Parts: sequence; C-alpha cells; structure tokens
Amino acid sequence: MNSIVNSFHREARRLAVDPWDLAMVTWVPLLGVALLWWIFSAGLPRHLAVGVVDDDHSSLSRQLVRMLDATPGVQITQHFTSTAEAERALRAVEVYAVVTIPRDFARTVKEGHAAQVTLLHNAQMSTHSGLLQRDVRAAVGTLSAGIEMAARNKRGESAQAVQVSMEPIHTQMVALFNVSSNYEQFLGAALIPALLHILAMTAGAWTVGRELRDRTLGEWLGAGGWMRTAGALVGKLALPWAALTLVGLLALVGITWGRGWHSPGNLWWVAGALALLMAVSLTAGAALAGITRSLRTALSGAGFFAAPAFAFSGVAFPLAGMPGSARAWAEAMPYTHYIRLQIEQLQMGAPLATSVSTMVALLVATAALWLVGATALTLAHRRPDTWGGR
Amino acid sequence: MNTTMKPMAVVTPPPRGLLRAWLQALATVLRDKGVLLLLIGAPVLYGFFYPWFYTDEVLTRVPVAVVDRDHTSLSRQITRLADADPRIEVRMVTAGEREAQEALWRGEIEGYALIPPNLKRSVVRGESAVVSIEANGAYALLNKAVQYGFAEAVGTVSAGVEIRKLQANGQSAPQARASRAPVQLQMVALFNPTEGYGSFVVPAVALLILQQTLLMGAAMLTGTWVESGQHRARATTWLGRLLALCTLGWASGLFYFGWIFVLHDYPRGGNPLGALALLACYIPAIAALGALLGLWMGNRERALQVLLFTTLPIAFVAGFSWPVEALPQPLQWLRWLLPSTSGVQASLRLNQLGAPLSAALPYLCVLVALGVLFMLALLCTARHRCVVAKSF
Repeated sequence: MNSIVNSFHREARRLAVDPWDLAMVTWVPLLGVALLWWIFSAGLPRHLAVGVVDDDHSSLSRQLVRMLDATPGVQITQHFTSTAEAERALRAVEVYAVVTIPRDFARTVKEGHAAQVTLLHNAQMSTHSGLLQRDVRAAVGTLSAGIEMAARNKRGESAQAVQVSMEPIHTQMVALFNVSSNYEQFLGAALIPALLHILAMTAGAWTVGRELRDRTLGEWLGAGGWMRTAGALVGKLALPWAALTLVGLLALVGITWGRGWHSPGNLWWVAGALALLMAVSLTAGAALAGITRSLRTALSGAGFFAAPAFAFSGVAFPLAGMPGSARAWAEAMPYTHYIRLQIEQLQMGAPLATSVSTMVALLVATAALWLVGATALTLAHRRPDTWGGR
Repeated sequence: MNTTMKPMAVVTPPPRGLLRAWLQALATVLRDKGVLLLLIGAPVLYGFFYPWFYTDEVLTRVPVAVVDRDHTSLSRQITRLADADPRIEVRMVTAGEREAQEALWRGEIEGYALIPPNLKRSVVRGESAVVSIEANGAYALLNKAVQYGFAEAVGTVSAGVEIRKLQANGQSAPQARASRAPVQLQMVALFNPTEGYGSFVVPAVALLILQQTLLMGAAMLTGTWVESGQHRARATTWLGRLLALCTLGWASGLFYFGWIFVLHDYPRGGNPLGALALLACYIPAIAALGALLGLWMGNRERALQVLLFTTLPIAFVAGFSWPVEALPQPLQWLRWLLPSTSGVQASLRLNQLGAPLSAALPYLCVLVALGVLFMLALLCTARHRCVVAKSF
C-alpha cells in the first residue's frame, strides 16, 4: 500500500515540474479530441463538385442537370463541351465525377426507348465517389420514374394504379442505427477513443520508460521486490489514467448529450469500457517499457501497436473482409473490441449481455499486462547496468 | 537493446564542408539504431504491414439473413437471387424478425431483408408490396453491400413481374423493358476500376507514413544533437545534415512509389517524372520541419511522445478519406501548413490519376514554400542558439 502512495506522490511531483509531461496527459489530449470533433462537426459532406457533358441541349437534359444540382450532396460546377475536356478535369480532380447526357437523349425517351445517362466517377477517392453514386442514382431514378408515370397517365392509367404497377415490389432501405449516415456519429465518435488509446499507450511507455532512461529506477522502486514493484506501477499509472479517462468521458458526454444525440444504449457501460481501454493501454505501454528497458524502443512499439489501431479495427474496413491472419491481429488489439462495444451501445442499442465478455476481456488483459509489467520491472531493477538505454 | 547505448557520447567538432557534413550525418544515422529504425525500418515494415489488412480489396459475401413471412415461390426466388449476389451470402432464413435481430447483435449477420406475409398475393392482385432491407448503418461499407445486394435481388424480381405484365398488355419484351425505366444510369468507376479499398487508402496513407516516420526520425536525431550541443553549427553543416535526412527519405519514397505500389498492384505510374518531382519537393520540407521540431523539443525521445498521436487528425484533414468540402473553413486553410496535405493531393494526381505536372504544380509550389520557410526558421534558430551559447 505504501509503495502505491509513494509512487503516486512521486508521479504527481514529476508532472508538476515538467510542463511537457503534464501537457501530454491533460490539455494536449483535450485539444486533440476537440480537433477531431471539429473535423467531423459538419456531419455530412455537401456540394461535391460534379461536371456535366450535355450533348443533347434539350429541356429534358436541362431538367436532369437542375435536379442533380438541387441534390444537397452534389454541386454542378462545370459544363464541358467534350468528353476529352471532362476527362482532363477528372484527372486534375477539378471535379469528382462527370455526368454525360448523350445526343438525342430527349428524342429517345419521347419515342419510348430507353436512354442512357453515364456517371464517370473518380473511384480513387472512395468516400467522394460513394456519396456521389448514391445521390446521382437517386436523382436519375426520380427523373425516370416521373417520365414513366407521365407516359402511363397519358395512356389512361390512373395515378394510383401506375404507382403500383410500375414497381410491383418496392424496397424500403433502412440503415438501422445510423439513420442519416451522420459522420460525426460514425467516424467522430470512433476516432476520439482511438486518439486517446494512442495517447494512453504513449503515456504508459513514457512514464515508466523515463525512469529507466534517467537511471532513476532505484529511486522509484526503492528496495525492489515483486510486490512493491507491482504496487509502485499502480501508483505511477493512476494519475495519467484518471486524467485521460476524464478527457474521454468529457468527449463521450459532449458528443452524445452535448450534441443532442440520445443514443439508444447504455452510456454508463460505454464509460466503463472507456476507462478499461485507458487502463489496458497504459499498462501495455508500461509493460513495453519494462520489457525493452528502453524509453525509445517502448515508444516505437507503442506507436506500432496503437497508431494504426483504428485502421484495422473494422470500423472503416470490416473485419470480415480481411485475410484470416490479418483478422487475428486485428482481434488481438483492445481497441477493436472496445469500438465494437461502443458502436453496439451508442448506435445499435444492443443488450448489455452481448458485450459482457468484452468487458471481462479488457479487465483480464489489463491485469495480465500489469503482471507482465511488474515482473519485467522487477527483473530490470536487479540489473542497474541495463538502465539508461536510449 | 539491453546494453547501454550512448549515441551522443563522443562529441566530434561539427564538420565544415557540405559533402563532409552530409557523410558524417549519414554515418551518425547508421550508428544510431533508434533513428535508423524510424528512417528505414518503419517505412519498410509499414509497406508490408498496412496493405496486409486490405489484401482482399473488395467486400464480398457479407453474411445476411432473410426473414421470410410469405413462404411462396416469389419469396424463395428473392432469397435465391440474394444468395447469388456476390456482395451478400444468405446465412439464415427465418420466419421471425426477433431471431434476425439477435443474430445482428451477436455479429453473425450484418443485415436482413424483411419479406412481408402475403407478398405474392399482393403482387398478383396488383397491390403494392414492400420488402424492407435492414442493414447495419453503423458500418458504412457493410451497410452499402447489404443494401445494394438485396436491392438488386428484389429489383430483378420486381422488374420480372412488371415486364410480364407489360407484355401481357401487348408490348414487346424490349419495349416493356424501355418503358419500365426510360432513363437508365450507367456508372463507370475510373482510376480504381474494382473500387478496391486498399487501392484507395494505401497510396494516400503511404504519403502519411513517409511524413510521420521522417518527421520523427529527423526530430529524434536533432534532439540528440541538442542534448550533446552539436546543434550549434554553421549553415553548411546543417544543409549537409538535411541532405542526409533527405537521402534516406528519398530512398523510402522511391521504395513506395517504385515498388510497394507495384507489389500490391495499386493504381500507379501515371506520371513517373512528376512523381519524382513530387518527392524532390516533399521530402526536404518534411526533413526541415522535423529538424526544426527536434531543435525546439531538445530531447531525443520527446518527438515520439508528441508526434505519435498526430497521425490520426493529419489523415483526416489531408482530403482523401474525408471530403475537404465538409471541413470547417479555418481548418481548410490551416491544413496547408502540413506537407502531407499537398503531398497526398499531388501524389494522387501524379501517381494514381496520371495527371500532367501542371495539375499538381500548385501543390509542389506549396511544398517548396514550406521547405524554404522551415529551412530558414531552422537556420535562424540554430544560429540564434549558437550566438546565445557563445555569449555564455
């Protein structure tokens, strides 16, 4: 018990005199979280630049262009006279897509044949092209349905009968859990804990690794011994853990209640998981420092594990689409499990029973890493000649 | 790793000539395991590690369920067509929505189609019928695969029904098809024809990897020099040192543009000379910024501590995964201070889209301006510290 308190005081004194170290667990995380929230605060991208090649110059083709421009996600910025010109603009990314309307477009439709409009989209910019495909498809679909309905009305079918016989089986697309495809909720909410995960692992590696670099391990751990070391580790990580968890909880409350987003799940459960994610990240960083006995190597390792954690977590690209070995790696990372739990609660409103195992796993991982870290530090303590590695 | 390393133990007087400064800095890097790992090891490692997760590129056979409350030939036809769609795979057919929902929570399926009772009867009677497709909107790519996979199956069945009706009214088959959808949309994916995820994300992330590793390596090296007082040096010495950092940065850049892109068969090689020009402008700007940061931090390990988390926000202001149009106005300006913003945009145009150099010229100009700015700041700071040191 004594070792915990002593170590806690030592860490508090160190934070008080080192503005860099204090910043990295207080206002820097706060600023980072605020920056991420700011990036996604618009929620949904609008007015993506699209060009038009209108070879028809009819009132129908102009109507289509007007309809496209009226779609919130699309903005018609350029009219090209030739496909070559359009292609040059696509290559220079002046526009993200080009809609081409063929010659005789209106006449073909009038004669009762099918006319084809083409959307050339820059698939190398996947987010942009995905949004544009959806919006352009909707606009063209609306135009097409309007023409069909008018034609059938002319033939004497009643409006109601037309609607049914046009599309005998309707599909109603329901995006469960994220109704408006709001990116503030989808990406912003997932990236904030990812950022804190990196910061926590860095902080764990830093605070323990620094004692090794400065050859102050003896000062910190006193006489040594496994029990005392394990206690000292708890005391040392307590303050960074409290600070980073607090930042995380502030962000969680801010992005949900603060933005009027009443998530269907249990916010307390997410808060608990976030506190555990911070704990597991800090102990992982500390264990890395204990094992490598080098601040520099531990930080490099923390970067290697934590920095790409978001990219491989299944949020941006699903786990099911990864090769087996890569998926095994992704599932060994704590963030992957945390974010699944967060999405289940904040978006899907899943019952708590589905994520009890995640909570237990995070807890077990923290305990295991704590044991590993304490053991590694006990061994390091016996070998003062290995301290001071850079 | 467990032995005591003192890279800064021997303080040699800073060299004079540019060539000698360059060689000496290169030798320092080769002897310094930490810097070497960041400048050479990390780019090579990430070149294989990062694309590994996206090897399969396109999402196929996403597990789904069909809640069939109709149990007719028509509902079975929808199920069969859905299963035949490459995007989705029907793992379970049930009569209860509750079961499907529970499977969704357990992560066994990612969405389901709800076929209402009396579907066939409604269709035969000419009443409207609705199949509802419920996909997990919390995951964008899965959502898209489930929605389009089911929509296509239902659409095909629906069109078949309608065309048969139109034919019954005396229209020919092509006529029936035309009057069903007077305006059809053809979508053509340019530059990344399979719309692969890895092809989209890795070429852009490569530029971020180049920036972050070189930034941290340069700052670590400079921080180490500050600790031993070697940062007090003449302008030529500093230019030689920057040149050494650039040499390694250029090597990593060529490794990505010339080999990693080829190895993973990403869209590439659009404008090779333009890509070389990009590296020529991109790397010096980063090296100078890294050295400047190291000078400011004055500590060997600080750069890692401070820079590791910055990769996330930097990636999302670079304008590839998150449209710039959605960024707040001040960020749209501030992001140009990062070399990666111009680097990603220029590389996209030159490597992937094959645009002429003129299309990327504004970005290269920004990079040159940043490089000059950072270099002047670096030389001024180093000189200032030099003068301060002498006055003591």
